[in-house]
Amino acid sequence: MDIKEFKDFSLEDYQKLIKNREISVKELAQLFLQRIENVDPYLHAFLFVNRESILDEAQSLDEQLEKANPEEIPPLFGIPIAIKDNICTQNIPTTCASKILEGFIPPYDATVVSRLKAQGALILGKTNMDEFAMGSSTENSAFGPTRNPFDLNRVPGGSSGGSSACVSALEAPVSLGSDTGGSIRQPAAFCGVVGLRPTYGRVSRFGLVSFASSLDQIGPITRTVKDCVTIFEVISGKDEKDSTCAPYPAFQAQEIPSREEVKKLKVGLPREYFSEGVDSEIIESIQNTIDFLEKEGIKLVEVSLPHTVYALEAYYIVAPSEASSNLARYDGVLYGFRAQEAAELQEMYFKTRTQGFGKEVKRRIILGTYSLSSGYYDEFYLKGMKVRTLVRQDFEKAFEVCDLLLTPVSPCLPFLFGERTQDPYQMYLADVFTIPSAMAGIPALSINCGYARSLPVGLQIIGRPFQEGLLFGLGLLIEEGLALGAPFPEIPLRKENTYE
Amino acid sequence: MDPKINLEEIKKVAQLAKLSFKEEELQTFFEDINNIVSHFAKLEELDLENVSPTSHISWSTPPTNPDQPVQWPDYQKILERAPRVSGNYVIVPKIVDK
Amino acid sequence: MSEQTEAFVTIGLEIHCQLLTKSKLFCQCATDYIGKEPNTLICPVCTGLPGSLPVLNAEALKLTIKTALALNCDILPQAVFYRKNYFYPDLPKGYQISQYDLPVGKDGFMEFSFQGKRKRVNIKRVHLEEDAGKLIHEGPDLPSSTSGVDFNRCGIPLVEIVTEPDLSSPEEAREFLNLLRRLVRYIGVSDGNMEEGSLRCDANVSVSLTGQSLGTKVEVKNMNSFRSVYKALKFEVERQREMLLNHQTIEQETRHWDEAKQVTVSARGKEEAEDYRYFPDPDLLPITIDSQLVEEIKNTLSELPLERKERLMVEYELTEGEAEVLTQEKEIADFFEECVKLMPKPQLICNWIVTEVRKNLNMMNQSIDKSKITPQKFVELLKLVEKKEITANIGKEILEEMFKSGLTAKEIIAKKGISMISSEKELEKIVFEVIEKNPQSVADYLSGKEKALHYLIGQVMRATRGQADPEMVKNILVKKLSGED
Repeated sequence: MDIKEFKDFSLEDYQKLIKNREISVKELAQLFLQRIENVDPYLHAFLFVNRESILDEAQSLDEQLEKANPEEIPPLFGIPIAIKDNICTQNIPTTCASKILEGFIPPYDATVVSRLKAQGALILGKTNMDEFAMGSSTENSAFGPTRNPFDLNRVPGGSSGGSSACVSALEAPVSLGSDTGGSIRQPAAFCGVVGLRPTYGRVSRFGLVSFASSLDQIGPITRTVKDCVTIFEVISGKDEKDSTCAPYPAFQAQEIPSREEVKKLKVGLPREYFSEGVDSEIIESIQNTIDFLEKEGIKLVEVSLPHTVYALEAYYIVAPSEASSNLARYDGVLYGFRAQEAAELQEMYFKTRTQGFGKEVKRRIILGTYSLSSGYYDEFYLKGMKVRTLVRQDFEKAFEVCDLLLTPVSPCLPFLFGERTQDPYQMYLADVFTIPSAMAGIPALSINCGYARSLPVGLQIIGRPFQEGLLFGLGLLIEEGLALGAPFPEIPLRKENTYE
Repeated sequence: MDPKINLEEIKKVAQLAKLSFKEEELQTFFEDINNIVSHFAKLEELDLENVSPTSHISWSTPPTNPDQPVQWPDYQKILERAPRVSGNYVIVPKIVDK
Repeated sequence: MSEQTEAFVTIGLEIHCQLLTKSKLFCQCATDYIGKEPNTLICPVCTGLPGSLPVLNAEALKLTIKTALALNCDILPQAVFYRKNYFYPDLPKGYQISQYDLPVGKDGFMEFSFQGKRKRVNIKRVHLEEDAGKLIHEGPDLPSSTSGVDFNRCGIPLVEIVTEPDLSSPEEAREFLNLLRRLVRYIGVSDGNMEEGSLRCDANVSVSLTGQSLGTKVEVKNMNSFRSVYKALKFEVERQREMLLNHQTIEQETRHWDEAKQVTVSARGKEEAEDYRYFPDPDLLPITIDSQLVEEIKNTLSELPLERKERLMVEYELTEGEAEVLTQEKEIADFFEECVKLMPKPQLICNWIVTEVRKNLNMMNQSIDKSKITPQKFVELLKLVEKKEITANIGKEILEEMFKSGLTAKEIIAKKGISMISSEKELEKIVFEVIEKNPQSVADYLSGKEKALHYLIGQVMRATRGQADPEMVKNILVKKLSGED
């Protein structure tokens, strides 16, 4: 079986094959394991492939299927899913791409993982990322970067680079990522796939290794909007283990408005997101989509989100502050890496943390520690929180005149390795359009809207809290209207591109 | 705000965060941090006097636990993961700062 | 020379009490860690495993509100949790979840009388936080040059009570601490056991010779019993006073009480680097404390010990000392009042509780509500004594037996065949025998030595194995000896 046959398959299509016994669960798992074997040496999207146990589990699902009524099998029955390596998986390593958690095997599943498993999904493996999700290119992984399937010399975006690249290259049908300031949407855009950052609190964070707790959200990365809906239905909803999780039921596809209703929506174009700093070909690609929407009769209005530029600065105060505290637990005492040959406690602390964390993580820990330290709290952290209020108010005002916002995901196309690593601030700028909505806690969907210089361009739809249904509605309309299809980048299997 | 952080402050903060730096790497690290922090000066343009801070995104009353003990079944697994254990204690190098 | 020089002392206390919840503050691990194997009451949350998140135990918040109300605090409309960041092996997350500028309660006070004067200590704040684990530095399990960590205690809820520096002597501080302990036990929020660490106390001490300005604040820690709090404060006050008299400067610092050497020693070094970087815990949304909840809790707060003590004095005409003893524990006071309802003899009941009941409770190391004595059983016994069916001494023996077996007084009497030797005839016979056997004492008595009578009474009591009523014995003896018969 050639994997390319599955290019435009949705999860529902896989389900049909399984239900009709056209493919066994084990065969499906093997298909993806084979694909990983073929292309992952070039992409390095995975940090761990669940080779052995997935086949055993697949076998047991096949046995269940023998006895079960095929109509009653759960929606993800037999579907292999890739999980970002900062989401805890029982008995499967979870490292956050950090040396400090190398070999750490959680004794429990994240809520999202147990929900996926409860619907019959299989864990295919753990995906590469920027260490502790800090970065926008996956170059900060302690275990080597992931490459963009569209151009192996370019980054896949980050921090969910592995989760995006593997779905783009069809190493996995779907994956989970996490988004703190854009870590789902930006790599999804760079790899030409769909990524959802849900409303803050819509998906449980229990089992997601915290980077910045007030910003982190888990979301699906998929090949189509439809699959995104399927996964979101499973992972969303209240969880008593996470007190920041909103006590509302899971999302249901019925919340998505009909096509006719979607056409009645008013879509806002925030002028700050179409400024000079944006790659002109990205603007062009977005403009095509706008033209399409106008043709469909959708009303477009220009709006302003005046605090957009300040959101970035505030984010790089708030997120590192929370991170500096969240990452204090990696001290070598109870789990993970402990530096050897420390004669006394302080030495163990310093050696463990200095050897265990990578450069960007250290940079943010220092930045955050500084922002919170006595004498600087008011100048930094408090200011960051105040700007966050202004950013939220921007969106509230905008949503008085429109229902959704449409923007580019990133001001730039996937960049070359090393292009932005010299100047950390340049790297931070890659998140300028994804950070404000994250700061406001509102949902945003990233979908592919075309190609520029043979690289994918991402479009972002931002909505009011808990209105993921509207995002999906507009996303489905655009996806169908543009008819780009799911990606299948030809990965040139040249030897010099082999990842060492 | 004077966005520049001096080297001494960086060293002090590194102490708080239990991170150490070699002298040669400290300089570039220091420059990177200062470069980032210098952009924070942009926030000076805003009048934040009467703005209330947003520390959490909260849509409703958070859930709470009942006061009912529930034994976590896998507590042994936590010790299994510890770098060093003796007689059910997690072992750390001797503490000399107290 | 220094003995006479007066010093102005200000002391503020910071008290931590473990709250009496069944499960921990942010997870559902059990809190009964005493005597448990190390690291058996743990889970991913209280050990801060990656990905774990805290969820508040609502009961702990209620107990904190109750404490704050009992200390006359204002209750803030929102409970906001902060992180206190520092590294220590007993703190697995690298921060402690605590409260900061928005505690559960603030601006309260406690009033009491001390050395005949009314004293008011202002309470700065009452807040909720989690406990740390326990470190051991020696033991058979420890390899050399290491310390061991036990996380069983980690995450148990603590209420922290901070007073203003309103206490003006170690004696006053001791009294306050005693009363506070009584209060938390009385309202059922903590068992206040200092020896087991469920109540801990730090102090700020400053001494000034002029009293015109406050002296330099010195923090004293590591006091593990009521006695050591008092001794440490005594020592510290004297140390500072001596220094001032010698024109030495007192440094603002933290000192530890060294129990073995009975001195406070400087804990220098650690303090300088401390910068806790408090900030709102982003994992815990602020919780609204609505006024309805506060009202509900207020209604569960029965009369506080000081109020009750004063009421008992007025209502039952007890002395301050008696009322004090009765209200040291809520259960004792409740027991007393239950008994009075069944038998309106408050003084008799009080006397027995203050002496005999407490003696038995101490002996059995029990609290009254956990003991086998009920007000009904106790009153039944007292009625027997009152009706002189048994003597007080026999009553005491029976009470002890009741504590042990749980039987009623009548059951014990029946079982043991005890009865009051109340028939005069029977007693007269014994008196006669005693007179026969002790001619010398009789002679002494007749020659005017009162003491000899006591000796003879004692002999009769001995012969009746204490079952006779001493008053009756005396009357018969006197009658017989004076030949009235």
